[in-house]
Amino acid sequence: MSTPTLSLSGLHKTYHLGLHTVPALQGVDLALAPGEMLALTGPSGSGKSTVLNLAGLIDTPDAGEVHLEGHCVSRLSAAQATLVRRDAIGFVFQGFNLVPVMTVADNVDYPLFIAGVPARERRQRVGAMLEAVGLLDHAAHLPDALSGGQRQRVAIARALIKNPRLVIADEPTASLDSHTAEQVLDLMREQGHRQGAAFLIATHDARLVRRCDRIITLRDGLIVQQAEEGLTA
Amino acid sequence: MNTQWIKFAWLNTLRNRRRSAVTVAIAALGTAAILLAGGFALFTYESLAEASARTTGHLIVARAEQFDTDEDTPLQHGLEHLDQVRAQLLADPAVRQVLPRVEFSGLISNGDKSTVMMATGIDPDAEFAIKGPFLTMTAGKVMTQQARQSVMLGDGLARSLKARPGSNLTLLASTTEGVLNALDVTVTGVFSTGIPDVDKRLVYTDVETAQKLLATTRVSSLGVFLDRMASTEPAQARLSALLPELKTRTWLDQAVFYRSVRDLYNRIFGALGLIIGVIVVFVVTNAMAMAVIERTREIGTLRALGTLPEQLTRTFALEGMVMGGMGALLGAMVALSVSVALLIWPVQMPPPPGRSTGYPLQISLDIPLYLGTLTAMVLLTMLASALVARRTVRQPIVDALAHV
Repeated sequence: MSTPTLSLSGLHKTYHLGLHTVPALQGVDLALAPGEMLALTGPSGSGKSTVLNLAGLIDTPDAGEVHLEGHCVSRLSAAQATLVRRDAIGFVFQGFNLVPVMTVADNVDYPLFIAGVPARERRQRVGAMLEAVGLLDHAAHLPDALSGGQRQRVAIARALIKNPRLVIADEPTASLDSHTAEQVLDLMREQGHRQGAAFLIATHDARLVRRCDRIITLRDGLIVQQAEEGLTA
Repeated sequence: MNTQWIKFAWLNTLRNRRRSAVTVAIAALGTAAILLAGGFALFTYESLAEASARTTGHLIVARAEQFDTDEDTPLQHGLEHLDQVRAQLLADPAVRQVLPRVEFSGLISNGDKSTVMMATGIDPDAEFAIKGPFLTMTAGKVMTQQARQSVMLGDGLARSLKARPGSNLTLLASTTEGVLNALDVTVTGVFSTGIPDVDKRLVYTDVETAQKLLATTRVSSLGVFLDRMASTEPAQARLSALLPELKTRTWLDQAVFYRSVRDLYNRIFGALGLIIGVIVVFVVTNAMAMAVIERTREIGTLRALGTLPEQLTRTFALEGMVMGGMGALLGAMVALSVSVALLIWPVQMPPPPGRSTGYPLQISLDIPLYLGTLTAMVLLTMLASALVARRTVRQPIVDALAHV
């Protein structure tokens, strides 16, 4: 059996809000195989975003461990975690989170730029990725000139350009209409499978859930249901 | 450093163009103000330094007692063997001229009225040849070596004695033996030094007349005029070694007024520069603080994508550099334009306190001042930007992403 791309074991996380303590995760275990697309569902406050934050190394657990390709990454320093994120983890946000003053090409190029990839190689990879997501003609446009679907495709291109092992996606279709959401989902599956990237997706979107390989339902910081889901696409 | 970071910084300054324009304008105004004030101060220092050196000579050679102790009788500490000393001094390659000087005080009378005078015996032909028109003649003409027993009076003194060119006056002073002596002289000209208090007392005569009045062959000191200001200190060292029995002082040692003005201006313009610097830092800090708050969510995104806090801090510092640099360059151009405009269209400043004549307003174009100010402005804006951004780029990414 191959090493899981992501493995979470016994994750606990509590938030302190003034005098109140809110237990966000109370012992979450899950593993994500290479190329697997896993949907995290559950009501608001169930802990989906917290799992994404811990898996994406933008937050640290109170207890438990996060392993990325077999390496424990939950005890890394902030600088080390940044470098792991830079090299191995892609992010797709609900609100796209593109840099508005950068062109489409510059937004997609950014992860390669901060990773120190040579300019010529970056240009080639950015061109290929923009062609793959159907936005080569919009390379010089600013994000404001794009539709919501196009912006999310730019965000996906930005997440995948560095060939990450793991992609964290938080409600990636929530801001999109049905037709656009379908296109974005197809794109994620197609590009993700091509690269062998594992996807951890928090979503309420039933269309997205149906296209994932596996579904985990969270409630009150605990996994309450796991299900294998056949692909409809 | 990759130029891509500078490109990002430039693009970021274009996000809120009005705010960036205000920041650039403040930096430009600050730079221009510092350069204009500094250039004016430098022009003043240069003018006063030249005037001081022209008045006394770049170096003053005398017996040590002449500088350090008061005389009991006139020229008690005066220099003898003048020709020999003068020849030794003139042998130095940097020395252009050596002018004797006899300084004394006494009374000057028109027969009806006597008043106190401060007199200086000079070698008029050489003095005016080497110094140029250092006095403003208000009547008559300058003395010449041929016109024996002649004097030039400050215009306040001439007014007091109702004297004009051609008038006959009497000089009274104690000789080196302590005996009162008198000498009739003719007024050749009336001048103004620009300082009314000095013009009420000052008398110029030739060295021979002064020595005749004081019954001596000594002179008070020798003014040594050099080829250029920069030669002063090396020449002082050489001449001190050449004449160890005498003391050689620089014009700066004697220039009390120059030192006072320089000290005062340094404080005034130093405080002004500090205030301008603080204002620029406040404006940049304010602008960058707003930019950082507006971009907190974006900072969280970039951090999530793997950008190190140092890289983001550097981006903000570069934004400061772009705005500070543009402002500094703009300010330098403004200062340069004003300086050139003042050369083309001169503006006369009113007389300073204690003076009767104004002076042209000019701004020195000093390359080290320009480079220093531009560098300081850029560094200040970079530092202010980096300090403002430092905290936000290090806040938890989750908090930054949740920022609304």
